[in-house]
Amino acid sequence: MFLTRSEYDRGVNTFSPEGRLFQVEYAIEAIKLGSTAIGICTSEGVVLAVEKRITSTLMEPNTIEKIVEIDKHIGCAVSGLMADSRTMIDRARIECQNHWFTYNERMTVESCAQAVSNLAIQFGDSDDDGSAMSRPFGVAILFAGIDEKGPQLYHMDPSGTFVQFDAKAIGSGSEGAQQSLQEMYHRSMTLKEATTASLTILKQVMEEKLNSSNVEVMTMTPGEFFHMFSKEQVEEALNLVVPMEKSQGDLPAAAASKATANA
Amino acid sequence: MAMMNDSRPHYPDYSTAGAVQHSFNPYADNGGSVVAIAGDDFAVIGADTRLSTGFAIYTRNQKKLFKLTDKTILGCAGCWCDTLTLTRILNARMQMYEQEHNKTMSTTACSQMLSTMLYYKRFFPYYISNVLVGLDTEGKGCVYSYDPIGHCERSTYRAGGSAGALLQPLLDNQVGFKNMQGDAFEKVTKERAIAILKDVFISAAERDIYTGDSIVINLITKDGITEETFPLRKD
Repeated sequence: MFLTRSEYDRGVNTFSPEGRLFQVEYAIEAIKLGSTAIGICTSEGVVLAVEKRITSTLMEPNTIEKIVEIDKHIGCAVSGLMADSRTMIDRARIECQNHWFTYNERMTVESCAQAVSNLAIQFGDSDDDGSAMSRPFGVAILFAGIDEKGPQLYHMDPSGTFVQFDAKAIGSGSEGAQQSLQEMYHRSMTLKEATTASLTILKQVMEEKLNSSNVEVMTMTPGEFFHMFSKEQVEEALNLVVPMEKSQGDLPAAAASKATANA
Repeated sequence: MAMMNDSRPHYPDYSTAGAVQHSFNPYADNGGSVVAIAGDDFAVIGADTRLSTGFAIYTRNQKKLFKLTDKTILGCAGCWCDTLTLTRILNARMQMYEQEHNKTMSTTACSQMLSTMLYYKRFFPYYISNVLVGLDTEGKGCVYSYDPIGHCERSTYRAGGSAGALLQPLLDNQVGFKNMQGDAFEKVTKERAIAILKDVFISAAERDIYTGDSIVINLITKDGITEETFPLRKD
């Protein structure tokens, strides 16, 4: 398959005869190397849970920041090339502040995703408006936010396509995790159930053992807005994961082996 | 060299032109007044229809109210050409917002945008007295008034334009019940607001040569906008 891609996977904005942009597709592949991130949207709020890969015991785990605040009412989980994600997060923050400055209101989650999407597709060799990215961003983003339409979850990939989801997983374990989300998600989920579910699934797809230092959890609720879990709160949430796992029987093991095969 | 020691000043035999200062005034004052009153569930705004320059009248029926959304109306008085430009840009911005964010702008969002638009021309301002009225997201009537460089204030009643200074104290008394004896004053109703609005314009037309001919009154409620006109003296 890759042999046929010799000519057209060079230029970032050259279509192949089949009508594909290979560099964009490769960028989507790149995020499958990233750490897993899960988002679940409930009527009570949105929860984001992200795995942090602690590759060395000498590493300081809290310097890895995969869930960030965009504005009080929008939070993001990223997977893929972290350096690229900084640029996009920066844009999202600027757009939110600009919107507030001009209209004295909170930017909607959809508009925020749209604004970042506009940045995501500005790759190419040259551009009229100055410096453009020479390649697509290797980042997938989950936007969790609250606006007048209530709690919302959006997913965006390197092609700049953004879609609203009830529950979505990105990163290396995304395939297995998405399957599990499909089974576990229901519309009447509470936020607490969603948090437990997201951690349970994360536990299934992660290679390392889940603990309070290799996972980040954030909730977005109408009362509190962006709330990052403290180490204690993460531990508390993790305590609820174990019994759920037992009740699931050998499903986690199957999902986990599937995920490792993907990663 | 003898001249240098002469105590008399030396004047040339002919007069010199000297420096002549030319000036160009980019602004015109076309007059006009705007009055707005807001209640708990309505907002009413009126503007006269006289467009003038000095002692001359350009037209007796120029509408100065601009509908921005079904819940928001802007009234403009001052330099008419600036009003034309501002309202056109405003309309374009409203449309762009609608297409970008898939919703109509709220009155509060309009008020903030107008403020920033005016401030962006901080050093060559639009010479306009702006009064923005509408219903906020809770359905409450609101009035926003502006200075030409974008200062914005939310209030419940406001008079702006050429007779603004003349009418504001009148509204303070009649709508705000300032300097009145007693304590139980009923909030102004829609009908009372429109009656006060007509009365103050009649008074303004008596004293202000830039206000007169007729007024256009727009009433905003949750059911929509209604418009009526009312004649004023034409001299």
